[in-house]
Amino acid sequence: MTRNAMIDEWYPVGLASQLDVHGRKTALMGEPIVVRRGEDGNAKVTGGNEHALPACIRYGHVWSSLGDPQKPLFAIPEADQPGRRLVDVGVVRVRCSPLRAVENFLDIAHFPFVHTDILGSEPHTEVQNYKVEIREDEDEVWATQVKFYQPQAAKSAEGGITTEYMYRVPAPTCSILYKTCPPRPGEWDVITLFVQPLAEDLCNVWPWMALFDDETPMTDLIHFQQTIFVQDRSILENQIPRLLPLDPGMEIPTRADLTSVAYRRWLKRHGYTYGAQLVAQ
Amino acid sequence: MRLSRGFVRGEALSCIYHGWRYAQEGNCLRIPAHPGLTPPDTIRVAMQPVEDGDGIIWISAGEPAAGPPRFDGLAPLRSMMAETDIAALEAAAGTKSAAGLLDYTHNAQTVQLLLAPEGQARTLMHVLADEDSNPTQRIAASRAAEALRRAAEHIRAAGSPNDP
Repeated sequence: MTRNAMIDEWYPVGLASQLDVHGRKTALMGEPIVVRRGEDGNAKVTGGNEHALPACIRYGHVWSSLGDPQKPLFAIPEADQPGRRLVDVGVVRVRCSPLRAVENFLDIAHFPFVHTDILGSEPHTEVQNYKVEIREDEDEVWATQVKFYQPQAAKSAEGGITTEYMYRVPAPTCSILYKTCPPRPGEWDVITLFVQPLAEDLCNVWPWMALFDDETPMTDLIHFQQTIFVQDRSILENQIPRLLPLDPGMEIPTRADLTSVAYRRWLKRHGYTYGAQLVAQ
Repeated sequence: MRLSRGFVRGEALSCIYHGWRYAQEGNCLRIPAHPGLTPPDTIRVAMQPVEDGDGIIWISAGEPAAGPPRFDGLAPLRSMMAETDIAALEAAAGTKSAAGLLDYTHNAQTVQLLLAPEGQARTLMHVLADEDSNPTQRIAASRAAEALRRAAEHIRAAGSPNDP
């Protein structure tokens, strides 16, 4: 096996708001690391033997890499748009492959069954046709025109609405969801899933949001997302096999799974295989 | 995702993740994401013969020649998972399984255990009590089984210091 292409990617390793000079011990792809605030106020990340690793602060989080990132961290232009509330949701530790956490985030067909009466409800289970593409210029997976009936799409939603979604995968363990914004038609709420791979079958999930919502208390916004992710965790920790299969195996994808199919194809094309299973079982 | 995490809904087994429903013959009845689609017959799950014997549900990997064992005079009480193997449970009980049951006495309360291994290091313990026992005796039998589980898990932990 050659050097894994995922080594040179940026990963979230902590909340910028919780940086301190004492440092926080965590891990990245099996390597113990320490995340601290340096004397100049910037984030400092060190690996074994105090070896300095790349570090930057963006979207509420500290980002680092075990390798040599060839590009700056992906852009989220909406994050700098005035009037949005930026929500640090915190961390959810999940005993699953980091790639499985992203794939579950891209899936809407489970909403009525896992997030019952919040993000979906029976009998509104149909996933209508949507568009999926791997955008070659940006080198990102995109799903657009995704529509789904939701009883309570957001904390700010009153009653059920048909929500429109767009999904973006700009990095192997990060996804950005653009979602109908109930109080401000024409704009998109931004909900992200930043996943820190601790091991091939263990990750820290750092959801983050940039919302147009001036009403809902911050605690309620955080609780809403945490409720959703804890529901997802019970699924993710019981998936079989634990690693994400990139080759066709026992699974039977349907049209609703086209985002997942494109994500897996994109991972395989780039050799993004940390947390993946290549041989069908 | 295992179907055992799901639910029985009507006469079908429904998966907890995406709600795919399976009939008693193993074929898929419904894919909720595509309600207009009739699932092709090729979408089906593996089937095993199943039988209810005096309140205990049995499955068989093949086609069994006879029905499941009967335990006359005993009634199923509860099931519990032990993070250990059968050898440790037998060591903790100070006896071996006989005729499919492990006989254990704790604080003068006797309990019978039907043990089913789940992989190398887990055992599903089905607890059986005298069918004529009263609620107090059944609670005591349940506590006895829990005591055995604690003792057996302790033996396993002590026997493998590298196990987290």
